[in-house]
Formats: sequence, structure tokens, C-alpha cells
Amino acid sequence: MVQNLVIGMAGSGGDGIVSAGQSLIAAAASEGYHAIMTKSFGSQIRGGESSCRVRIAVKPIYSPGGMLDVAVALNWDDFMKFGAELPVSGSTIVIYDEKCGVPKDKLPLVGVTPAEVLAVPIGDLAKQATGTDRAKNTVVLGLIAGWFGIAREGILNNMRKKLGKKGAELLAANEKAFALGETYAAEHPLAQPMRMAQPEARTAGMLVTDGNEMCAAAALFAGLDFFGGYPITPSTEIMQYLSKEIWKYGGAVLQAEDEIAGIGAAVGASYAGKKAMTATSGPGLSLKTEMMGLATLAELPLVIVDVQRGGPSTGVPTKGEQSDLYAAVFSAHGDVVRPVLAPTTVADTFAVTVEAFNMAERYQTPVLILSDQEIAQRKETVDPIDTSLFTIEERQRPSEAELVDYARFRFTESGVSPISHPGMKGGNYLAAGIEHNEHGDPTASGVMHARMNDKRLHKLDPLKKRKDLFLVEGDPNAPFAIVSWGSTAGTCREALELARAEGLRTKLLIPKLLFPVAEGIYEDFFASVRTGIVVEQSHLGQLYRLLRMFVDVPRGVSSFARSGANPFMPSEILAKLRDLVLSQQRGQAQSIQPQE
Amino acid sequence: MSTKGIDFRDLSLKDALDLAILIEEEAMDRYGELADQMDLHRTPDAAAFFRFMAKNEAKHGATLVKRRNQSFENQPSAVTRAMIFDVEAPEYDEARAFMTPREAMASALRSEVKAHDFFARAVPLIRDATVKALFTELREEETLHQRLIQEQLEKLPPDPSLGAADFEDEPAPQ
Amino acid sequence: MNAPLPVHPESYSPKDFKSELKPIWCPGCGDFGVLQAVYRSLAAIGRAPHDIAFISGIGCSSRIPGYTTAYGFNTVHGRALPIAQGIKIANPDLLVLAAGGDGDGFSIGGGHLPHAIRRNTDLTYIVMDNQIYGLTKGQLSPTSPKGLPTVTSTEGSLEDPVNPLLYVLAYGAPFVAQGTPADMAGLAAMIEEGIRYPGFAFINVQSPCVTFGQPEWQVKQHRATMKPLASLGHDPKDRLRAMDLAQAYGKELYTGVLYRNPEPPATYEALVHQRQQVLGRDAPRRQDVLNAFIQK
Repeated sequence: MVQNLVIGMAGSGGDGIVSAGQSLIAAAASEGYHAIMTKSFGSQIRGGESSCRVRIAVKPIYSPGGMLDVAVALNWDDFMKFGAELPVSGSTIVIYDEKCGVPKDKLPLVGVTPAEVLAVPIGDLAKQATGTDRAKNTVVLGLIAGWFGIAREGILNNMRKKLGKKGAELLAANEKAFALGETYAAEHPLAQPMRMAQPEARTAGMLVTDGNEMCAAAALFAGLDFFGGYPITPSTEIMQYLSKEIWKYGGAVLQAEDEIAGIGAAVGASYAGKKAMTATSGPGLSLKTEMMGLATLAELPLVIVDVQRGGPSTGVPTKGEQSDLYAAVFSAHGDVVRPVLAPTTVADTFAVTVEAFNMAERYQTPVLILSDQEIAQRKETVDPIDTSLFTIEERQRPSEAELVDYARFRFTESGVSPISHPGMKGGNYLAAGIEHNEHGDPTASGVMHARMNDKRLHKLDPLKKRKDLFLVEGDPNAPFAIVSWGSTAGTCREALELARAEGLRTKLLIPKLLFPVAEGIYEDFFASVRTGIVVEQSHLGQLYRLLRMFVDVPRGVSSFARSGANPFMPSEILAKLRDLVLSQQRGQAQSIQPQE
Repeated sequence: MSTKGIDFRDLSLKDALDLAILIEEEAMDRYGELADQMDLHRTPDAAAFFRFMAKNEAKHGATLVKRRNQSFENQPSAVTRAMIFDVEAPEYDEARAFMTPREAMASALRSEVKAHDFFARAVPLIRDATVKALFTELREEETLHQRLIQEQLEKLPPDPSLGAADFEDEPAPQ
Repeated sequence: MNAPLPVHPESYSPKDFKSELKPIWCPGCGDFGVLQAVYRSLAAIGRAPHDIAFISGIGCSSRIPGYTTAYGFNTVHGRALPIAQGIKIANPDLLVLAAGGDGDGFSIGGGHLPHAIRRNTDLTYIVMDNQIYGLTKGQLSPTSPKGLPTVTSTEGSLEDPVNPLLYVLAYGAPFVAQGTPADMAGLAAMIEEGIRYPGFAFINVQSPCVTFGQPEWQVKQHRATMKPLASLGHDPKDRLRAMDLAQAYGKELYTGVLYRNPEPPATYEALVHQRQQVLGRDAPRRQDVLNAFIQK
């Protein structure tokens, strides 16, 4: 019985590979499995190559997994285009459409002999069932259900739901195609059976969603009233979801004429007293820089989502990376400071987004959420979230007394001043990007400027004590450590399990709050650490460098970072840590060799 | 057109007085604003003169108010500031940074001429004899004010050939 | 639409809209006239200062919100319109004004103009057009005439100027007017009318710069050269005629209402409101937002 199965599938755009993956994950969720599905496409808008990976497990998982256990190729040209995204190894079972004419022993997999190769007349079976070979994806689902014993009921239910509305004939044809796949599997059993174990506990009400939808839903939950944005891969789904839903809650979405107008309108809505958000990716973040600075100076709450992709400039639009950290923390001229948060999975995107809104309101500041393409666009099963457990915060509004001779930027102990908005009698003030005194009057005084910079900086100090925004796993006194953030953090959690299984005393730190840098929390973590790695998909190792700026990072902790579009696998992280530990032990051994 | 919604033919005495009061008030406010501008732009002599003019307009206004209250005390005014536009008040473009007292006086003189012409144009239109007399009187007063300013002007030394603007630092970038 | 807020036209005087901040504009600046006209039109309209949001960009003219008692937002160069629209969509009950100069509005802000117009939120956009960049000491502006020598075009500008009146008419603005401080009554009237007009109202004010503008472009000259459209018998319902007249921008100073759409199109926020009413009729609760993702 297998506990964990990674299935990778590829074909042409018209083959329905991705919808097969979606059916699979939906079905897995309905049966209580944990699953993650990623997809990938060629650059054509239609008809190009397309692929998906579905990882199904009986226990919770935090990354899309490494090597494929099962590879399905509807044709080899398309499959090969995905290279390292669909990694085939000696333990992979390869299934492909016999029709593509490639003999079983002449597969284009260089230097790899799969565990088993099955050439299946997928197209023919589809034609047999439906009269057209378009139903290949359904046949594949039947094969998978048949060979691996997963999700049969789930797939069939899903089919009924999706296709039932389109007509009885279409549904029947697809059910037949599924059945033919199952039958084929039964009649041609695997050399080594590979049946999926049953999930441990079956939680009712599992969600299936992706990071973008989760972010958008969380924003609505947190009280979002206005979204201003502009289409940009891979964040557009946030705007699309909101443009369907937000009206129902009395809010509005504006797809503006450009990135700047998008965030500008959100700044306006916040000034008008409403919770506002914008979402973008790297190139848009660059354009939004000035507005972020304006919101910082004007002390306006605002949530900005950056779904990171390969950079710099246009970069690699369809692949994730973690290289916007510097921009998130430092961009906008002047001594700007703003909180930066990063989710690690689809599941925690909900809580992180709600937290971002609360932070924005409490501290009257723009808050950046650094998601990345991998989290944003993968489907994940998520344990039910009880929204009643969350508190929603509102910005501090002035009392009657405070509206007498109201000072918008009045110095207070916390650094946060009660904020009015148009429509509030007595709260009239001039907001601006220009430096100001407590009343909001423009000032060029160095003394006042310093005080205001202090206010804007120190009002965020309580964030440095937010242990709840850090995940620490493992023995608290472990000498070996892994630090990671964003989507890579999930992979590191799995690497941690591997390390501990190997006897390496390792602990893991995952910051969800990246800025302000919580020096104390890092110092506590590093106190016991001799050897460690900071793992991230950034050619410059941006978190590692950021930590070195603010924290005494132990000498034995180094950066393990590389460009995006090449996600880490748990085994690589383990290997790196192991090597470092060994070489440091060797180094220490050498240094205590007696002198000759 | 410096008034809006005023029919001079049927102007009542109360309205005529209220109109005259507002004209003075508008001029007083304007001179005050121009004085503030002169202060902000380091032109103290012109500022002093404009303040002086503001005081004058206030005085004239006070006299008219007293007169108005003799006959119409406690009766609300039907005339508002929304109906007049720079009747006696100097237009904003009369002012310039570093203007000399001579230039300031010249602009005040132009405003008095303007006010004179306003009353002069209105007089033939007015039907009521008392109101006509009032406006004639106000017209003549403007002539008097002009003479007073003219006298002050003549007492001034000629403007230096080198103005303050010639010594001005370059305008500061913002 | 939401029920209109109570208005008391007699209860506000222009002074109620004057803040304590003394304008730093150069004496003689055309913007003083615009400010005075704004005070008067707001007094006539009768909305309380706290119900008014006055948004500007960056430039001498963009300082104007601070000189009023309304809520103000002096934003960043060229971006007043997106921010103003965000405010109006978020709270349609507010009276929203936007202002800026010709550089702010037609250069860096030029890309936002057509979209603000076609979106048609109910706001009034006043541009103080002086054909120069005053705040930064006298550079070329998008409305500077070709050949004009400035500190960044010492040998003369090589570009044809934009025609803001023609652009705005072509973009479909339902209310377009041009004014000058040389006619204060007219200017106050057209600003008031623009505010009252239910839709995007554009008012271009020829507001000369005494410090960097050409001597022959000052208000004195306006008085002599202005051509009130009313006295020419222009019918503001005639959009094509308005565009024809607008072609003379830079050559003739036409003042008054160029175009007024007699059938004001629905405003953006009215359409948003309708949609919210229809789609929100089942009154879903925010705490149930995740229900749609549950796999059954």
C-alpha cells in the first residue's frame, strides 16, 4: 500500500489534461485524501502543451512532491517539453498513448529506465466510448482509478456534477470512457501492484482551492470593500474572483487602466475609510512603488498582494520565484518601512491575508503579502477553516473629544493616531505625501521629520514580538537548522522529517513575518545552532542577506538559494544540510589536529 | 460684469445700502488677502499700504452700516456676497511680489476708479430718487478716495530704477 | 441612488470653505481666482465641508485643497484622478473634486484622463492651465506652444502642444468648460455648474503664471481677448460644434460651457450600486465565504 502518490500527466491543450487533474484532486478531497495539484503550460494561448501533477497522500503534505510515481504521456513531444517539471526515475510507472507510435523500449527518456512502461490505446478507447478521441482524459482517470485504487466514487460523482448539466448523452459517453479505462487496468494489472492506502481520518468539509482564491476569499472575510487592480500573471485570479463576488457584499472591483491607477484607486478608497486591496506580480510591484510610499507617509491602511514570479523585469511570468523580497521591504524612496508577510501554503494564505488586513488597520500602513506562483496557482486540499475563530480589526477612529481640534497625526504612545475619513464631521484634514506636523500641515523641519519617521517606524515595533507569525518545528536545542519562507518552506518541512529520520538533530524556522525583522525571535532560534541553511528560490538569497543585515546569523549558517522556475526537492535540501554538517565537522576535526 | 442678479432699476434703499456695505467688505477682505501675500513674499511696504487700505474700507463700511441700521435695523439683508465680483476689490492679478508702494497705490487707485465707474453706470438706471442720491453720493466719495490716494502717490519718491526683483534670489525649487 | 444628504444652500458662505493656511502662490497668480471661485461655488452648492473630498496631484495648483476646509488629499504627480475615483466609488455620497495643473493632468497624468472620463464617476476636475511647469521653475509643459523657449527648451520647444479641450471632448466627457479669472462671475458659475452636473465635469481654467509665464498671457490680456461662447450663440448641446471650436485652443480664448450632454449618462457609481443591489439581494455573510470551496 502506498501512502503517497505523485502523478504527472502531459498532453496537448485540447486533451483536457488539467481538467483530469482537477477531477482527480476534487475526488481525492471528497474521499479524505490530502492532495496538491500544480499545472504548467506552453506559451500558446490555446492548443499548446499542457501538464499537471497531482500528489495524493493519506497524511497532510506541504509541497507538490518530487519524482513522479506515475507518468502519463498522451504524446511524447508534449511530455518532453516539461523537462524537469515531470521528473521520471527508475521507480516511475510510465503510461502512454500507444497511438503516438513510440515503441516501449525507445522512449525519449534519456538515461532513465522506468519501473514499468505501459502503452495503452487511450485514444482508441476514448473513440470507442464517445465517438471522438477527445475523452482521452476520462479514460486516463479510469486507468488511474483502476490501477491505483483511488477516488473512483469521487471521480464519478464529480463527472455527474460537471457534465450532468451539459446533457445526458455527454455524461453517459464519459462514464463509458471511464469504465473502459478501469476495465483495461483490471485486464492488464501492474507487474508490481501499487494501491493507495485509505486516508486515516475522513474530515468532512475539506476545501479544494488555490492560493489566489484563498487570498481573495480571506480578503472578503476580513472586510474588503474595494479592490483596484490590473491583469498580470500569476495574480489575475484574485481580481477575477473578486469581480464575481465582491458586489454581493456591497463592495466594488475596478480593473483600472494600469497598475498605478489600480493601487491609486485603492489608496483613495482607504482614505475614504474603506478596507482596500490591490494585487499584482513583480513588474506591477515596481510600478506601484510610488503609491506605496504615499500610503506610508499618509499612514493609510492598504493591503498589497505580490504573487511573485521569475524576475527581474518581465522575467519568467509563469513560474514562481522568491526574488521580490528586497523590493517588498526596501522599494519606494526614503526611509520607508512596512510589514511584509508571506504565506507558505494555500491553507495558510487565508490566515496570512486576514492578518494582513488586521495589521494594515491597526498600524495604518500598507502591508505587503508576498505570495508566489507555486502557492497561488496550485490546487490544494485544505482542512476546514472555522472563520468564527478569527477576529477582524478596524482602524482606530477618533472619539468625539478627539474631533475637537483634531490632529490627524497626533503623537501617541503607540505611534498610531486615530484616523478620520471624509464624511466624518470635525475630522477634516489634508492628507498628503509631503512631510507634516501633527495637524497634517506641511513641514520642512528636521526635528518634526525625524519625529514622524520615528512614529512611522516604531508604531510597528510590536510586530517584532509576534512569535505566532513564526513556525518552529523540531528540537528547540538542535544544532542544525533550516530556515525558509514562502512555498519553499513547505518543501523544507518535508526535508526536516527526512533529516530527523536520518538522525540529524535539526530544527526548522519558517517566518511568515519577513519585515520588520524580529531580531529577538531569530536570535533565540539561532542560539543553539552551529550549522544551517537558509533555503529560498532567489538567486541572490534575499532572505539570507536580509537576516545578515539585522541579525547575528551564526557563521555556520549559509545560504542555499537558487533562481526560481526550479523548485527545491526535500532530498536536495537534506543533502545540502548533510554535506554542510559533515564538512563543518571535518573542518572542526582538522582544526583540533595536534600540530606536527 | 461685476454683479449678478441685481436689478438696478428697482433697487430699494435697504438693498442699495446692503450692496454698498458688501462692496466695502469685499474690498476690505481683498486688501487683507493681498497684504498677507505681500507679507509671505517679503514685500513689507506694499503690505503696510494694503493693510491701510483694508482699514479704510472697514471704516467706510462701518459708516454705511450705521446708516443702514438707522432705518433698517434687525431687517435681514437680501443681498449676498455671491452677487458681487470685485466691484471695488482689486483683482488678484493687480498684485506682484516685490511691488513697490507706488505700484501698490496705483493698483488701489485703479480699484477706486473701478468703483467710481460702477456707481456712475448704475446711477442713470436707478428709478428711486433716494437710492439715486445715495449712489451719486457713493460715486462722489470714490472720487474723493481717488484724490486722497493720488495725493499720497505724489508724495512718494520715484521708484528706483533697480527694483527689489533685480536683487532677488532665483525662485526656490519646490 | 442613496437618499441625498440634506443640503442648506443658505447656510454656508464662501468663508466657511476658506482654511487658515495662507496660499504661497505668487501674488498675481491666476490660481487665486480659481480658489475664490471654488469657495463661491461650494457655498452655493451647500454641502458641508466634511462631506467634500478635494484631491490633487503635485504642482503649484495642486496645493489648492489645503486652502479649503474640505477633506483634502495632495497626492502624487499625475495621479489625482485614479485616487479621486477610488474615493467616489468607495463612498458615492461624498462631493468629490479633483484639481491639478496642465503638466500634472496632461503629461504624466494623461493616461488616466480617458479612462476617468469613460468611467464617468460624478466628480469635477479643474485644471489650472498655464502652459508651463511653475513649481519646478519654468520648464516646458504639454500645453506650451511650439517654439516656446523655456529652461528645458532654450532653443524653443520642438513639439506641438496637446489640445486638452479637444481630447476631453473626444474622450466623451459629458461636461466641458473653459474659464479664466478675468471673468470671476463666469468662472464661479461654471464650476458650480460642473459640480452640479451628474457625471464627469471637466473645467479648464486659463490660469496664468506670473513668474514663468509669458507676459502677454496674463489675466489683463484675457480680459481683452476672451470670447464668451454664450455671446457667440454657441449651443452647448452641439458636441461637434464644440470640437470645432476646441480646435482653436491656443489661438482663441473661448470661455463658458463648450459642451453639456443634455442626457447625462449613468455614472459609474450608480451602475455599481445597481449591481450591488441585485447581486447582494441574498445578503450572503462574509463569514460563510469559504463554503463555495467545500468538496462534497
